[in-house]
Amino acid sequence: MNITQLPYIKDIFAFMGSDLMAAVIGLLIIAVFVPLNVAFLVLVERKVAGHIQLRPGPMEVGPHGILQTLIDAVKLLGKEMVTPGMTDKVLFFLAPILVVVPAFVGWVPISFSPIMQIREMNVGVLLIFSFSSISILSILMAGWSSNNKYSLIGAVRAVAQNVAYEIPLLLSTMSVIIMTNTFRMSEIVNAQSSVWHILYQPVAAIIFIIATTAECNRAPFDLVEAESELVSGFHTEYTGMRFSLFFLAEYTNMVIAASMATVLFLGGWFGPFFPGLIWFVIKVYFLIFVVMWVRWTYPRLRFDQLMNFAWKVLIPIALVNLLITAIVLKVI
Amino acid sequence: MPTAGQKKLLEELKNSLTQAVPEGQVEDSDYTRTGCHLEVRLDQGGMRRVAKVMLDKRFYLETITAVDFIDHFELVYLYSTYYQDVFRVITRIRIAKDATPFSVSAIYPGAIWLEREVYDFFGIRFQEHPDLKRIINPDDADYFPLLKNFGKTKFTEEIDDILC
Amino acid sequence: MNIKTIDDATVNQRVYQLNLGPQHPSTHGVMHLLVTLDGEVVIKIEPIIGYSHRGHEKMAENRIYEQFLPNPARMDYLSGMIFNHGYCMAVEKLCGIEVPRRAEYIRVITSELNRIASHFIGAMDYAMGLGAITPFLWGWDDREQILDLLEGIAGSRLTYSYGRFGGVRNDIDQAFYNGTRRFIDRLRGRFWDYENLINQNIIFIKRSKGVGVISKEDALTYGVTGPSLRGSGVKYDVRKNEPYSAYPEFNFEIPTREAGDCLARYQVRMAEIEQSLNIIEQALDHLPPGPVRSKVPRFVTPPEGECYLTFESARGAVGFYIVSDGSRIPYRIKVRAPSFSNLFAMTKICPGHFLADVIAIFGSIDVTVPEIDR
Repeated sequence: MNITQLPYIKDIFAFMGSDLMAAVIGLLIIAVFVPLNVAFLVLVERKVAGHIQLRPGPMEVGPHGILQTLIDAVKLLGKEMVTPGMTDKVLFFLAPILVVVPAFVGWVPISFSPIMQIREMNVGVLLIFSFSSISILSILMAGWSSNNKYSLIGAVRAVAQNVAYEIPLLLSTMSVIIMTNTFRMSEIVNAQSSVWHILYQPVAAIIFIIATTAECNRAPFDLVEAESELVSGFHTEYTGMRFSLFFLAEYTNMVIAASMATVLFLGGWFGPFFPGLIWFVIKVYFLIFVVMWVRWTYPRLRFDQLMNFAWKVLIPIALVNLLITAIVLKVI
Repeated sequence: MPTAGQKKLLEELKNSLTQAVPEGQVEDSDYTRTGCHLEVRLDQGGMRRVAKVMLDKRFYLETITAVDFIDHFELVYLYSTYYQDVFRVITRIRIAKDATPFSVSAIYPGAIWLEREVYDFFGIRFQEHPDLKRIINPDDADYFPLLKNFGKTKFTEEIDDILC
Repeated sequence: MNIKTIDDATVNQRVYQLNLGPQHPSTHGVMHLLVTLDGEVVIKIEPIIGYSHRGHEKMAENRIYEQFLPNPARMDYLSGMIFNHGYCMAVEKLCGIEVPRRAEYIRVITSELNRIASHFIGAMDYAMGLGAITPFLWGWDDREQILDLLEGIAGSRLTYSYGRFGGVRNDIDQAFYNGTRRFIDRLRGRFWDYENLINQNIIFIKRSKGVGVISKEDALTYGVTGPSLRGSGVKYDVRKNEPYSAYPEFNFEIPTREAGDCLARYQVRMAEIEQSLNIIEQALDHLPPGPVRSKVPRFVTPPEGECYLTFESARGAVGFYIVSDGSRIPYRIKVRAPSFSNLFAMTKICPGHFLADVIAIFGSIDVTVPEIDR
């Protein structure tokens, strides 16, 4: 019997062939790409840190230590997952699972090149922001459920910090959005085919990068894990694979943030000579390198200085910048 | 060779100290041999009056320690200056084994820990000390390690005989 | 927090206690700070010490003077050479032993090299407490050169017992002489890097300025010494005020800062490194010939009596108080540990600061825990 004769099955195939299939294949690619990318980034981070600190970094496993992080991953997989006594077991179990969800979903609306995008969405930019807020929830869950004062202080800091830094982040994004009149990633990129937005909006671009660094809890804003005072912050009590899930989420969020900055300000896939995807990757990794560079150069801010910086410096500047953009666009 | 400033300070200190502790002996000390310029010897008490004089003259309290002389303790207070002409005063107070001397922590707050250390190692209880408890040894220790009879066995005495 | 086991009173209280240590990334050893916090603001801080107590003072009463020689370097393992030097001087003073001038010069050179190594740990560990890891490893790199140099003449890298009563164990060799010259040139070239990386770093300055101010009055009543005191504007350094060894023959300055905060203490340390380089250079230029050890009996037997000798370690004024009963075994050796007094002063200045500042203040005071516990 020819199944294509059955109209309803044909409809299902048609449906799968278009959107669902693309989503499934895309998510599979992400599931493979994300851990490998994190392994690569951890190696890059260690090498960058090493060379900044006048030492070679990992050198033992493989030529120039390039297999080091794979070995580390195997070691972490083999470790016992300790659940300390007196913890809130359900939340303690759920937190590392919840933290990787936005790290995976955040890739869906990003357009890497004209043809590489899992799902074009009308609200692509907003979707990433809303998912990034979920990771804060999981940090709070981890900190609260660990029954450890270091974890709790780290989690409370994380919430306060993310509430504060999401505002300048969204305000600086809005300056771009009102220029392009769309939330679609590919259209934002297409609007930059001649001039990148960073030339129109340098202030917004700098605020965006600072705020995303804070959102990703990277130094100098890494008060959430501040190892010199809070040992390891919210994931002090986590071991083995659960710990590495937090690690994975941190690095993946960094890539998503860098991709967002590339799409919004650095002209996405546009560039001479190379295909679009390569330009995109170059820009993303350059931004990540800058973030690493800053991390190994600057000390950590204190908590009150961090909050002052957000509320008294970044938010007013971002607001003024948005106002000027609106006036220039609508009046002139 | 003492400088002019040191000579002047020596005279001043001698006067004030003999007024403050008339029962004690205030003597010059040979700096090249002992490292101190002035020595104050006292029996049983007077450490607070000495400390007050020292604070007035802007001395800082270097350390407090004790020496176990089997039949009595000697409490040692060392004061020194931040000035260019260095001046060190050593106060030695002979106290009985069961004496409870007064604390100088009200005058020199830095003495709080120094006196705790003396209590910790010698069992000397200071009166009016804000927080007299063990500091380096464990809280539940029932010994005072720097007493001369602590840790003495027949074996260690034999070793001592060989070494001497 | 387990909600089931906590009553309302505990939930409603604002104040809580946090244990920093005994195992903690930034307590410089086994040290326990019991911090009472209101939110993130410190109300009270109580250091709990004694985890690395080894009983050096009791040990001294059970062995002859020569056998105690390796111990002082174990008290403050970061400036072991200076402690070793100081103990030798104390016993020499007690016995009236003369030291050849060449030996005094060599002692000064090794002590000052050790002081630089220790100040690098002190200053860069402070930066690491603020979250900047790179300066720490840069400082570690420079310190490594010193350890290599000292290893060449003393045999050990950290806990030296190079000094002997009446001199030093062996003369320095040409490799040490040339290596020290090279090291001085190299380090002078590196100050520019440190200036750029740390001293002009805006976050570093924001975190350090006005934090943990020790007033002159507090310093006096708490007996603070060393770079922590000079950061408060008091020009007190045992090397100048109460000169010992060959220090009166050298031309150097005592750097001071008026502010008394963490930044001042850091700056004093970095300035002292430069001064130490000057001293080493002068000592190498004018190194006198001659023996490095005077004739001393195999076992010294000091006369009955006592002496107090003070010297400047990297952390402040150390004092050796030795009571002798005329035998070959010391009757009592008391060590005045500068870290002990400096750490106690921290309990005075910490309240009112943030939790992150506690780490900064602790790092800027630069204590070594084994020296406190002895």
